[in-house]
Amino acid sequence: MPITKQTIAIIGAGGNMGSAIAKGIAGGNYRLLLFDRDPDQLESLIEKIQQDHPNADVVPIDCAHECSWEADIIILAVPHQAEKEIADKIRDVATQKIVISIANPVEEDFSKLTTTSDTSAAEELQEWLPHSKVIKAFNTTFAADFQQPIIDGKQADAFIAGNEKEALQSVIELVETVGFNPIIAGDLSVSGTLERMQLLLIQLMIRNNDDWLAPWNVTEWAPELSGDSTGLAGWKILRN
Amino acid sequence: MYQQLKESLQEHVSLTDEQWELCKNNFRPKRMLKRQFLLQEGDVCRQLTFVEKGALYSYSVDSKGNQHVLRFAFDGWWIADLQSFFTDNPSTLNIEVLEDSELLVLDRKNHEKLLEEIPAYERYHRIIVENAYVALQKRVENALGLTAEEKYARLIKDNPEFMNRVPLNLVASYLGMSPETLSRVRGNFSG
Repeated sequence: MPITKQTIAIIGAGGNMGSAIAKGIAGGNYRLLLFDRDPDQLESLIEKIQQDHPNADVVPIDCAHECSWEADIIILAVPHQAEKEIADKIRDVATQKIVISIANPVEEDFSKLTTTSDTSAAEELQEWLPHSKVIKAFNTTFAADFQQPIIDGKQADAFIAGNEKEALQSVIELVETVGFNPIIAGDLSVSGTLERMQLLLIQLMIRNNDDWLAPWNVTEWAPELSGDSTGLAGWKILRN
Repeated sequence: MYQQLKESLQEHVSLTDEQWELCKNNFRPKRMLKRQFLLQEGDVCRQLTFVEKGALYSYSVDSKGNQHVLRFAFDGWWIADLQSFFTDNPSTLNIEVLEDSELLVLDRKNHEKLLEEIPAYERYHRIIVENAYVALQKRVENALGLTAEEKYARLIKDNPEFMNRVPLNLVASYLGMSPETLSRVRGNFSG
């Protein structure tokens, strides 16, 4: 990890996923700028972060544009349908920055995705922010997974997709800070697969009235991904 | 947000509107606050930074913990550790923000892309590096050959803005003298 501190903006930091990510990376060498439409939500989050990490450099910012201007990496922790409006607001200060798309563009009834089969939330965001480096990450891990990235001695995997090697490396460091095992799934066009994978898992969680602690674990079943080639292939969802 | 950069380019070369757009879209706008670090000793400097507005300075820290200021950068100037940038070795310098600043950061890959795609940018960059070399040589000559009085006189002639925007202890460090010596020299000047 670089010595010089990177600044991360989390847009929608008061939400479930936004606050899980903020808490997950607060122990790293990062300055965190938190923005939420509803700033009241940030107070208790910041208090919690400072309790767990007394040296955390974390500040609330009351404007998405200002927040993104100061950041090196911007995490959009908002539903996909809100991303276009935010993209319009931050476009001029997001040039050449890493913008992380965490969204799974699901219909309200979770029956299907809102995007067509030839694209994805991440690719649409890349179209709206043509000069930014959009990376798909944190969409295959539920908020509950951040609390417990290791279940029964096995580490949760977190998939990442993107087009730029250096940008992927920076996101790998973020994912490792949270405690997940990062797996590069491919370039940004793989995002659609990652979003559909998670749609399936969301549907299973709802059907089984589950506790939403259910990270993917591929390396356990496909050890060649972690460099140990015993020839097994497959995947599973880790359960408590 | 790009006014100073545009002026700096136009001062030395001419770009078509299309080239300017391409150039601008490769810079990362970054706002930084006083006392934040753009670069810290031990990291490789992988970027060239243009100051749209504000002030920064680069310095090294010796084994006794003393700070040695190498240079400053204000509105319209570039700053980087070129030694680290060109050789890919970890930097021996820190670059710290002196006043809240609006910066335009150009990552190495994008810099190389612009060098390749826009000949006028390559020419601009050559002129900037030539100027930096000339300034550096002057600075070494001054440091080696001038008295404290002469150093100060040269500074207020060549860079009068330093005295308004930089704390005196940093000016003293930049000139390679103690704050007390600088104070005495300034007293002699005004007296």
